Amino acid sequence: MRVNSNDPEKKEVVTRRAALLGGGFGLLLTGIGARLFQLQVLDYEKYQRLAQENQFNTRIIAPLRGEIVDRFGATLASNRQNFRLLLMPDEAGNVEDALDRIRKYVAIPDDKHARLLREISRTRGYAPVEIVNNLEWNQFTEINFQLPHLPGAHPEVSETRNYPLGNATAFVTGYVGSVTDRDLESPDNKNQQFLLRQPGFKVGRDGLERTYEKELRGVAGAMDVKVNAHGRVIEEVEGSISPPVQGETLGLTIDADLQLAAMKALEGESASAVVIDIETGDILVLASTPAFDPNIFTKGIASDLWRELNESPYKPLLNKPLGGIYPPGSTFKMVSAISALRSGIQPSFKVRCNGKFWYGNRFFHCWKKEGHGTVDMRNSLKHSCDTFYYTVATQIDVDMIADTARKLGLDQTFELGIPGQHSGVVPDRAWKKKFYAGTPENQIWFPGETLSVAIGQGSVSATPLQLAVMASRIASGREIRPRIVRFRGNLELPTPVAPRIDIAEEHLQLARDGMYAVVNEPGGTAVRSALDNRDWKLAGKTGTSQVYRITNEERARGLTKPEDLPWARRDHALFVCFAPFEAPRYACAVVVEHGIGGARMAGPKAKEIMTAVMTKDPANLKPLSPGALAQASKSSREG
Amino acid sequence: MASIILPGPRRGIQDQIARLHWPLIIMLTMIAGAGVVTLYSVGGGSWSPWAGTHALRYAISASVMIVMGLIGIRYWMALSYPIYVVALIALAFVPFIGDVNMGARRWIDIGPMQFQPSELMKVGIVLALARYYHGLRAEQVSHILYLIPPAIMIAAPVGLVFLQPDLGTAVMIGATGAAIMVLAGLSWRLIFLGAIAAVAGAVGALRFGLLHDYQLARIFTFLDPESDPLGKGYHLLQSKIGLGSGGLVGKGYMLGTQRELNFLPEMQTDFIFTIFGEEFGFVGTVGLLLLYFAVIMTGMNIALRARSHFARLAALGVCVTFALYVLINTGMVMGLAPVVGVPLPLVSYGGTVMLTIMAGFGIVMSAHMSRDTDGASL
Repeated sequence: MRVNSNDPEKKEVVTRRAALLGGGFGLLLTGIGARLFQLQVLDYEKYQRLAQENQFNTRIIAPLRGEIVDRFGATLASNRQNFRLLLMPDEAGNVEDALDRIRKYVAIPDDKHARLLREISRTRGYAPVEIVNNLEWNQFTEINFQLPHLPGAHPEVSETRNYPLGNATAFVTGYVGSVTDRDLESPDNKNQQFLLRQPGFKVGRDGLERTYEKELRGVAGAMDVKVNAHGRVIEEVEGSISPPVQGETLGLTIDADLQLAAMKALEGESASAVVIDIETGDILVLASTPAFDPNIFTKGIASDLWRELNESPYKPLLNKPLGGIYPPGSTFKMVSAISALRSGIQPSFKVRCNGKFWYGNRFFHCWKKEGHGTVDMRNSLKHSCDTFYYTVATQIDVDMIADTARKLGLDQTFELGIPGQHSGVVPDRAWKKKFYAGTPENQIWFPGETLSVAIGQGSVSATPLQLAVMASRIASGREIRPRIVRFRGNLELPTPVAPRIDIAEEHLQLARDGMYAVVNEPGGTAVRSALDNRDWKLAGKTGTSQVYRITNEERARGLTKPEDLPWARRDHALFVCFAPFEAPRYACAVVVEHGIGGARMAGPKAKEIMTAVMTKDPANLKPLSPGALAQASKSSREG
Repeated sequence: MASIILPGPRRGIQDQIARLHWPLIIMLTMIAGAGVVTLYSVGGGSWSPWAGTHALRYAISASVMIVMGLIGIRYWMALSYPIYVVALIALAFVPFIGDVNMGARRWIDIGPMQFQPSELMKVGIVLALARYYHGLRAEQVSHILYLIPPAIMIAAPVGLVFLQPDLGTAVMIGATGAAIMVLAGLSWRLIFLGAIAAVAGAVGALRFGLLHDYQLARIFTFLDPESDPLGKGYHLLQSKIGLGSGGLVGKGYMLGTQRELNFLPEMQTDFIFTIFGEEFGFVGTVGLLLLYFAVIMTGMNIALRARSHFARLAALGVCVTFALYVLINTGMVMGLAPVVGVPLPLVSYGGTVMLTIMAGFGIVMSAHMSRDTDGASL
């Protein structure tokens, strides 16, 4: 074989083939070079631009949400710094070691530790994971100090919504919550997608937070950042920041002190209270108990707590002053009295009450079994005599009662900006027709129904806010419209115009006199509610509205006292009032659900609230003006 | 010692050192130097973890090359079949004792060292085929009977490597073997038939699912990378952005943004040419390609000046392997070839590949040193 080793023919072939192969290689290499020329020289600009786009990314800077303050500037909703610690798993090396190191400075319970490990393995290392939030300041500084020893740890300051008064203003402010798909699809948010998709961004879910979302949200800022392939920010691009603009401040008519006083007065009851400044319509108090803590809702509520709140018979999720509807009971008697006067019945008209009134084919009972004797219109209010109004009801038309009720603020909602208002019901012929639209045989108005309406029972229902408005309109004779937002941003909202009501002054005056007698004259149903300061004259009216009629059978079993009934069957207790009697400034309505009696349950609470109101007399204190607020917050920021 | 090893007229060791092909050594060192410089940048301006090790490995591998070069070519001829057989046995054992690394079983642990039999085979196939054709007369080369041994010699390692699975290396071993057969003087008719068979085999592999999903994905991505920029074609697109945005003269050393921002995987191995091109531009990439071209031309020149047929074919085989590395890797990072995980020789980080390449040039060097002997006898 070795004879062939130097075969010249073989050498010649190899040389020829090698030259071919070398030439082929040279050609291919030229092709590579040509491709490089195309990429690096001809298409340079295209790839240069792509490389720029690769590196730079615009980041949204979420704006601070506008604050909500009370009429004197006390904070009702603000933003609190939340110190939290994130972990970038891909920077941390061994994640378990990293967590162990962090554990030296902040406690991580074992179950949370396990949950974090699971979360980290799910995100496969590239997404930051929140280790702890709401750190104490000293913990946060300690971690920042130890940062060189904690690879992958990223301390961060974020903002969370804070409601300093907690449940006291839950139904005024509402609360914020996480962005839902529905928010993202809403046409209002068409241009806000990037902002809404910021991690942890919150939008108004209820109350004013929801209604004034647009004003409170503010304007997002932006900055260009350099990012790596995983989208991690490497650095900010200098000079690229357009700062975010904080949302507008919402200045409310609410007086936080009085709101707290009302919440305290109602504590332990399922109740509501409304106080209105009669001159301006400003709502000073809008209290509802029991209430939830919006601070918990903002963080995202656990399902078992949600269920508990939702199923509670005390309805802690219901905004009772606006959305709770109750038969007004005897607080409606002012409406009936004024309607009687408007129908031509004289104030001197007298009725003899012996405890019951025969009409149609049955007896209508007065609340006082033994009867009131002879009562005129003023005393009918003072003693809350039902028989008087049964009699009146046989002489006047239900449509007149309904007209008076509407003029005084019932059967309507007001422009407050708080969702969930109920209009209640003021029945009349038209209402009944509409209500029984499907069954014409039920559309006829029976005269007996007017008797129930006259004492605020039957189909009549009203919200506590409407009752307060009614009191303010009786007291002022003007069409008071309640409001709760005084200004937003720098825009002061005008006080609503309040024209005179189309009801004769002397008719209203009789109602006022009657209400005065209720509280201030011996034998009045609410003498106990007279204010301790004798200079402040309170005029009011009690109401007890029936929820459940005690059956004869139950009466036979000895069940006579309302306390014997289960809570949910007891009567509602109501009280409406205004003060001072001579120059009315504040109107108030209190409703205690299943509180048994207006005089014994609602009246004293109204007294407590009105005492606080009269003591502070907020109407005569200078409220915060929008300019002053901007000045104050500016100087505090500079300081 | 030297008298046993050194071929031809007996010379002193210093004399032998002086006779080494120094231009080749200098060019190889320049290429490896480009690797060190780029790896320093990839490491974020640090000798660790890559640049320092790379330099050290090159120093060791270059020493291996020189020592191999000092060994007469006839010794290498004598060792050809044994080396091939050892490599083949090791390859056959990989499935049983190899380590699984990133889904493929390619490595064998020898004490503290890791060893890839497929790399040894790259040298082994060159030596074995060169040895085979050394013993054949010119007219025997295209004889059907004499086609069977080289076909088996190529098919056995290609099949074993393919099963690991390592498509890139299998293709390289197969292509190197085929190139040596062509160089040895295979008739054009057989070359043509072989090419048809290779295409048919490739189509068959695609059709009948012999390839793993990731291998298929890489091949289809290569065909249309921009269709799915954040999916499988993402890295290829990022690689093109890196190269393209380098422009004529590059962004400057250590100033590559694609590198800095981690847009590329395996920057220290498969995609190092992108980083080099981003920072040194068209001038840099063409310069590096010219350096490779010069190395291959030098190698071929050495081969063709050798008197022994074995030396010629072995040295040419080494050049072919080297050229394939360069073409596949550069083609791959700019979208001209599928991403099959072939490193850029001497620049990419990786010890086994470097040792393989430098051992190959050790054979070339030996051919150079023994250019006056026919290698026919020991």
